[in-house]
Amino acid sequence: MAARHLIIGGGTAGINAIRTIREEERERSEITLVSAERPYSRMVLPYFLDRSIAESHVYTATPRILAEWGVKSHVGRRATSLDPKGNVVTLDDGTKLEYDDCMIATGSSAVRAPVAGADGANVHSFWTLDEAKGVIAGIAPGSHVVMVGAGFISFTILNSILSLGAKLTIVEIAPRILPRMVDGPGAELVEKWLEKHGVTIRTGATVSAIEDVKGKPGTPARKRIKFARGAKGGDIIADVVIMATGIKTNLDWLKDSGLRIDRGIVVDSHLRSNAPNVYAAGDVAQGPDLIAGGTSIHAIEPTAQEHGRVVGANMAGKDVQYRGSVIINIVEVCHLDVASFGAWDDTTAEVISASRPDRPAYRKMLFRGDRMTGAIILGPSSDIWTTNDVGMLKGLVQTGQPLGQFKERLRQQPFDVKTAFIAAKTTARLLPETVVGRPSKAPGDTPVAV
Amino acid sequence: MKVLKITPEKCTGCLRCELACSYMQTGQYQPAKSVIRVSPFEGHTSYAPYTCTQCAEGWCMTACPVGAITINVAGAKDVRDDVCVGCKLCTIACPYGTAFYDPDTRKAFKCNLCGGDPACASACPTAAITYEDTATVDWIGDFAAHRAGRLLETV
Ligand SMILES: Cc1cc2nc3c(=O)[nH]c(=O)nc-3n(C[C@H](O)[C@H](O)[C@H](O)COP(=O)(O)OP(=O)(O)OC[C@H]3O[C@@H](n4cnc5c(N)ncnc54)[C@H](O)[C@@H]3O)c2cc1C
Ligand code: SF4
Repeated sequence: MAARHLIIGGGTAGINAIRTIREEERERSEITLVSAERPYSRMVLPYFLDRSIAESHVYTATPRILAEWGVKSHVGRRATSLDPKGNVVTLDDGTKLEYDDCMIATGSSAVRAPVAGADGANVHSFWTLDEAKGVIAGIAPGSHVVMVGAGFISFTILNSILSLGAKLTIVEIAPRILPRMVDGPGAELVEKWLEKHGVTIRTGATVSAIEDVKGKPGTPARKRIKFARGAKGGDIIADVVIMATGIKTNLDWLKDSGLRIDRGIVVDSHLRSNAPNVYAAGDVAQGPDLIAGGTSIHAIEPTAQEHGRVVGANMAGKDVQYRGSVIINIVEVCHLDVASFGAWDDTTAEVISASRPDRPAYRKMLFRGDRMTGAIILGPSSDIWTTNDVGMLKGLVQTGQPLGQFKERLRQQPFDVKTAFIAAKTTARLLPETVVGRPSKAPGDTPVAV
Repeated sequence: MKVLKITPEKCTGCLRCELACSYMQTGQYQPAKSVIRVSPFEGHTSYAPYTCTQCAEGWCMTACPVGAITINVAGAKDVRDDVCVGCKLCTIACPYGTAFYDPDTRKAFKCNLCGGDPACASACPTAAITYEDTATVDWIGDFAAHRAGRLLETV
């Protein structure tokens, strides 16, 4: 009988796994997909928000493509329980699906801070396509948008909101912005830059309630945002409120499954859970961490892609060990690029940092001995892309290439990564590296091995 | 597959490859938009061009959330402008630093071997860049290690 693969979650990891199974398998298998939403890429939603792409552009696999790939799909259905002993998953309509192996890739959801009124009209999250549509419907040129939370997601949609002609205020409970993406000095540069570009930022401000402002009947309700005592400034009136106050992994449905769950589903170097035929991938998987060692959740797109491909190859019968994930992030705000890599927040590492007095340009490179373990790069887009430095920092962190004497070169000239990268022969180290043990295939082709 | 072979000892630093490349890629003579970039060594007494290796993994291609990067007839990873949304994920996924972002077009751009007739190789007057059927290796690592190393020792 053909092997029966069951994929739960049709996001980034899910679709990468399906494609890789089809690319790698020796015998045509049966693939079933269960996904609460249609397959799309969440990280391109900001470009749907600013209307630079149509809705059709966000989908990663249409029903026609899934049919072409020979995938049986249950789209719009949720898995509600998993029985790893019986090898059965139950769906919200009572359907029971048996599998030979299964991959869990149910991703994350937005969580709203527990504030009175956070679930009211014109208060949105921005995580799913439906939520994005809600925000689009609410914003008009001249609208005042207030984002609660100054984390990565707020920053990925900041440019889009401004380009729609809205006025923007960001409110953050912590004393600074972007706490999980850049360090203090980097955050300060970003904050100053944004204020210069007309964005109002209020840090150290705890929202206590979001209330309706009474207006004329029939007009959309405006919102009054109230703050806890001690916050500077008075109430803020907004047309649209976006709560970007965090995410949580979608694991509730697994609580009786017996799978080992810490912060996510704990997986080994083949991305298998404690049930050997149950894999986990993407935001829900606590998998090998390349820099820190041990296991971590790295809830980013590239980790979901790599996890999905490694699991797909293993399900197809290959023996692929995952080398571990590396945090990589980039965001652009008003033509200022900000990127960070690896263990950029490691307080025990040796640090080389530099800034330019005349412009918002900042670098930080972290080392263990002569190997780079993390980095931050920040600068105007017009400077950044005339260099090769962005990707080279990723390459140095990913390979941990010993820099030897060329670490001194970075200390002398922190704004030139290239010389050290090339002279340390990082290219030679990188050339043989692949994620699933063979050259990658182009995405446009229909994946069929047999 | 034919690849760009770099012989750094032959490079004079004339930057004709950068001009030819930027013209081919963007229609403008603008070295800042070239995807082959010449680095100076030893205080500008020696030079070496550096560009995409068209690596086996294709980190840019597998990272792209919308499948905008494909493999063209020359075997090069190539950005499809009509699909690219400009999210820059490819630029941080590429560990060689050879996937770029163009703030003017708001798209990613990289070496696509000009579809099989690379302008840099044709423009190079000394054959420091040639287009040959050979395996890609680290063409300039040793050269750079000597040149950059010597300078570090003298300061
Ligand atoms: C606006 C936005 C911008 C982002 N920008 C970036 C960025 O620039 N860079 C970056 O690295 N990352 C970014 N991310 C994060 C990135 O999108 C996620 O890390 C990635 O999507 C994780 O992939 P995944 O496959 O684990 O989960 P997802 O892509 O979230 O897919 C999970 C799937 O599972 C389905 N599902 C959930 N529960 C169930 C259930 N019980 N049964 C069946 N199906 C279920 C969901 O409907 C969904 O289809 C961004 C995210 C958002 C929202
Ligand atoms: S910038 Fe364009 S080519 Fe690069 S990953 Fe994003 S969409 Fe793909």
